Amino acid sequence: MEHASFIFGSWGITAVSVGAYAIWVLRRGRELAKHATREEMPWT
Amino acid sequence: MAGQSGTGTSATRRLGILVILMLATLALCGLWFSAEDVVQGSTVRIMYIHVPSIWTAYIAFGLTALCSGVYLSGKNRSLSWDRVAGAAGEIGVLFVAVSLVTGSMWGRLTWGTYWVWDARLTSTAFLFITYVGYLAVRQLGGTHRQRARRSSVLALLAILEIPLVHFSVTLWRSLHQEASVANPNAKVELDGLMLFSLFLGLVAFTMLFVWLVLHRQRAMMLEDAFSDRGLDVAITARRNEAGA
Amino acid sequence: MDLTPRTATEPGAQPPVRKRRWLPILIVVAALLGGGVIVTQFLTSAIDYYCNVDEIGVRPGCEGERRMRVQGVVEQSSIKQGDGGTTFVLDFNKKTLKVAYSGDPGGVFQECIPVIAHGRMVNGVFESDRIEVKHSNQYVEKNATRIDESNKEAAACSVLKG
Repeated sequence: MEHASFIFGSWGITAVSVGAYAIWVLRRGRELAKHATREEMPWT
Repeated sequence: MAGQSGTGTSATRRLGILVILMLATLALCGLWFSAEDVVQGSTVRIMYIHVPSIWTAYIAFGLTALCSGVYLSGKNRSLSWDRVAGAAGEIGVLFVAVSLVTGSMWGRLTWGTYWVWDARLTSTAFLFITYVGYLAVRQLGGTHRQRARRSSVLALLAILEIPLVHFSVTLWRSLHQEASVANPNAKVELDGLMLFSLFLGLVAFTMLFVWLVLHRQRAMMLEDAFSDRGLDVAITARRNEAGA
Repeated sequence: MDLTPRTATEPGAQPPVRKRRWLPILIVVAALLGGGVIVTQFLTSAIDYYCNVDEIGVRPGCEGERRMRVQGVVEQSSIKQGDGGTTFVLDFNKKTLKVAYSGDPGGVFQECIPVIAHGRMVNGVFESDRIEVKHSNQYVEKNATRIDESNKEAAACSVLKG
């Protein structure tokens, strides 16, 4: 594939940045939930 | 305490699995099965993430404005609207950044340059800066209601930039090409599997956005609850002292 | 009730201290400055990014030997490379312009594609030091065009000339 470094690079940057954000959101939620009461988590 | 369940539910877990499957299919279609473009060759494969990224940012900022409008106009000013607005704004900034970076790499291969100050890129850079400012304004302090009020007003002003960004290529002379699907002529300018891959990207990124918003606004709800709880503890301590 | 701020003596028991948040303030200031720079420095030229070939010497801002950006379609069989430079002819609206570019244009530069050349007019030739390729919003599968590629290319060239 021509220009493979740019093509895979752009897909990689997207995957890593969005993936890292998704993991951060999940971890943040889990960390906060450890100290939360049932009333503070209406979705449970 | 509620335990370790986090911000997930069985519905978000099912949605998450579906998003992963769709993104994997998108990677296969976009990087492998779809044909090269007659002019751009394989470079066109960047389009399948670049366009869905800016599309997601548009949706995110649209949701931010919608929730902000509901918050400001509603009789019952629930902070949930503000939290969804904030979560969507944060995710929108991420996707504009992704769109700018991937677009820059695509531009280097097709235009011959990473960046030009034409109407589309200039307005997109301005959009990015505006929403970074929006996120900063949310963090300026004060009560949750003060935060909600000031950020809602800003969100309703900032959304006016979206049509400016989208139509910049038709309103003014620009290096950036016009839209291939959502264009004023309503003419789809993509062949077969290219169109399918792009459409799949739009759907997959939209569902990813929904999944992210659900989790992020729940985390924000907990952040607000903890902040309130801290304040309540302080007030109770002072009341006890005063009564003693 | 005493509501004045005070220093906590016992770790973990202190009420939350409302500090001034400097980072968001700095980001807001930076965003305002950045937005201001974009509006004042780039927006005016961004909304009037180029002159078309047929506007040179006619439209205000496109005349004389001032530095400008010119848009047109690269004429078929006009590209000549040598001596570290590239010359070609730009067409637009039945007007032509000879361009001398000091290098090898990047991107998908080729015949029949619209480009924007940055430079200035010198003795009737547009001397350019930057070329940007303005590809169209049409995406055509490579395999589908193999059958009659030459005809399509010629057709595309006539369409692109405007």
